[in-house]
Amino acid sequence: MARKKKEANLDLAPSKKEKMGPGQIVVLICLAIFTVFCFAPVVLVFVSAFTDEMYIVQHGFSFFPQKWSMAGMNAVLKYGKQLFTSYAVTIFVTVTGTLLGLLIMSMYAYAMSRKDFRLSKFLAIFLLIPMLFNGGQLSGYIIFTSVYHLKDNLLLLILPLCVTTMNVIILRTYIVNSIPGELMEAAKIDGAGEYRTFFQITLPLLKPSLAAVGFMMATAYWNDWQNAMLYIDTNSKKPLQLLLINIQKSIQFLLNNTNVPASARAAMGGTIPQNSATMATVIVVIGPIMIAYPFFQKYFIKGLTVGSVKG
Amino acid sequence: MKDFLRNTWKHRAHVVLALPAFLVLFFIMYVPMTGLILAFKRFDSRLGIYGSPFCGLDNFKFLIASKAQFINFTSNTILYYVIFTVIGTFLNVALAIAIDQCIFKKTTKVMQTLMIIPVFISYAAVQFIVYAFISKDTGMINNLLGTNTSFYMNASYWTVILTITKIWKDTGYGSVLYMSVLAGIDTELYEAAEIDGANRWKKIWHITLPSLIPMITVMLLLSVGSIMKSDTGLFYQVTRDTGVLYDTTQVIDSFVLHSILKNSNFGFTAATSFFQSVVGLLLMLGANALVKKIEPENALF
Repeated sequence: MARKKKEANLDLAPSKKEKMGPGQIVVLICLAIFTVFCFAPVVLVFVSAFTDEMYIVQHGFSFFPQKWSMAGMNAVLKYGKQLFTSYAVTIFVTVTGTLLGLLIMSMYAYAMSRKDFRLSKFLAIFLLIPMLFNGGQLSGYIIFTSVYHLKDNLLLLILPLCVTTMNVIILRTYIVNSIPGELMEAAKIDGAGEYRTFFQITLPLLKPSLAAVGFMMATAYWNDWQNAMLYIDTNSKKPLQLLLINIQKSIQFLLNNTNVPASARAAMGGTIPQNSATMATVIVVIGPIMIAYPFFQKYFIKGLTVGSVKG
Repeated sequence: MKDFLRNTWKHRAHVVLALPAFLVLFFIMYVPMTGLILAFKRFDSRLGIYGSPFCGLDNFKFLIASKAQFINFTSNTILYYVIFTVIGTFLNVALAIAIDQCIFKKTTKVMQTLMIIPVFISYAAVQFIVYAFISKDTGMINNLLGTNTSFYMNASYWTVILTITKIWKDTGYGSVLYMSVLAGIDTELYEAAEIDGANRWKKIWHITLPSLIPMITVMLLLSVGSIMKSDTGLFYQVTRDTGVLYDTTQVIDSFVLHSILKNSNFGFTAATSFFQSVVGLLLMLGANALVKKIEPENALF
């Protein structure tokens, strides 16, 4: 008995020492059901993208179609230039926005965390007010388009998501709690200027927190359909999400587009596998995040935890 | 004052560091606040936002004139807030406890990874997934039940459809926060309880749940501040902005987005926007004051 207890103490999770019992089985089954509920729709997207279009029309969407086909995927790949343009726009906006946001937010967070800096109180309040009060969608739309004249400008996809109060708070909390102040003092004594201290000492140490915030930002940029829908008109600036929203129009447009080789159009025989092509486009749009997510999972879970505890 | 200036000069490097984010906040968040005066103006796109003539409270008269619509989307906003918060909090906590209690750690880890995935799918994509389940002719639900229901034509189903979609998308992710609290519970508490003869349910009831209460309280109170805001994508994309469904699906945010895109009814929309922002501010201040009383550490300011 005594030995058993000692072993139990080594375990972090209190429940680990519990024995297998009917209770455990029930919990596991419930969790499994919920996992299926969450993940099955994602599977359905993948299955439908490779289902024969006629099969979907006749029998509906199914997890176990009798007839498979590559037609949907082919149609998407034959979008040709527009798909690549949209990919390029989305990647450009995501990368630029995330890097820019991380840089300027950590700079702000660092300045805010300096103790004897009198303005830091003001910076904190300035950061907090937008969380309490904002102009709303309509004012934003009118100011951005008729005062800044930025309609159809990629800046409107980048800047609105660039600095968010919550992210700055997460970064600041991390600087205050996890980076020893002595380190920065030491750097200063060794003759490093303020900028050098920040870029060479603080920023590298901030990495775990940057990874967490960065991943959350990147998904926000990648998934942003609203700003694109409001502000972007030109085809050459359309991000993936907008392509997806206008998919019915898009498929028609893309296939009638001169960018699509005539041979490809002929190969499709004039019919568009609407349902499976739509699902194939969904895969193309959500794919990169699905692939990146497992690598960042531990960071963003940590980031979420840190953010919830205001330091 | 002199001290303050000297301090600022001494920290000029910090001022420079804070400047870029400051400017972004200023131009993206602060300047649009001035756009709220639109609620008191007759907007004329040629004259611009500041040049348009004031019209007193005319826009709010619009609001009263079409109060059926105003009441509809405001009450929908609040209704969905209540449904999502009650069901969401319950499921988040239940899921966190279930994962924490389960002894098959490796399996639960994989399960958790799969459960979180939906949160990363944009609503622009989610609408097609929902469509695959509920479309009239090809939808899975109609196929399985052998029915022929037109979900996109019938408003009464949508409270349930939107709730299920929301649960599907956010529950896995929402439970992470509570799990982090559970991981922090002192193991000795459980051991002591065991020695006192407590069974599993008693331990959950007397140790696990009470330790989650502060976090639940804080999250609930803070969410009160955003009652007036909704997940626009859920209400705009998933419903495909279908007019027939507005009775049960239109919320303030999706209404405003719709009017901007359709370029319609700016006076009414501006008044609604103003209402949304002001009520949001009041709720936020109230929520923060409450948190401050109960759990001062977690107050926003």
